[in-house]
Amino acid sequence: MLPLSLLTAAQNKPMLVELKNGETLNGHLVNCDNFMNITLREVYQTNPDGDRFWKLKECYIRGSTIKYLRVPDVLLDTVKEEQNRARDVGRNSRGGHIGGRGGPRARGTRGGPMRGGRGRGRGA
Amino acid sequence: MSSLQGYVDRKVLLVLQDGRAIVGTLAGFDQKSNIVLADSKERVYSVEDGVEEIPLGLYLVKGEMICLVGELDEEIDKSVDLATVRAEPIPPIRYG
Repeated sequence: MLPLSLLTAAQNKPMLVELKNGETLNGHLVNCDNFMNITLREVYQTNPDGDRFWKLKECYIRGSTIKYLRVPDVLLDTVKEEQNRARDVGRNSRGGHIGGRGGPRARGTRGGPMRGGRGRGRGA
Repeated sequence: MSSLQGYVDRKVLLVLQDGRAIVGTLAGFDQKSNIVLADSKERVYSVEDGVEEIPLGLYLVKGEMICLVGELDEEIDKSVDLATVRAEPIPPIRYG
């Protein structure tokens, strides 16, 4: 799974961001981009020593200043589920088109007995 | 070209530029070596006390911060009693 996909899926979720200078920002993710620039809302900022705090309504963090992000554990399962669902939707829609020509077993069995019956009827 | 694909879904040790050692399951990566680490735990080494393991959860680490990604042999790791390990913590990288 791509890191940026995980981040995009984390929109509106709470997270902790640690910057290269050791500051930490706790807040809810508003948006993110390919550079990992992010905007957070309802942010609690802490200085590197952990002894000064600020509350910010919104903030923008340049991706290049980020060391790491901690996100809720459930997000991993949520994103994997969505990826599986998207893959299954793709499979089903493609399977439907191929089924029109070759025919999966279900349609074949429905057609088979009927055809056989008609054939026997004519023969008899 | 070498890639981290071989490490996906394995347990790995990440050493960061600030000297931190984090173990976890590699869930994903990209071309910049940004990494998604699941069930991660930071291991704090000390000369006097045993290793302290701090559970951290789901981590997205920026590629620029990573020094090393190493595959962890789970069997060997399980057999090690972290309380008996004594080691100097890795210092942060200094440039220039």
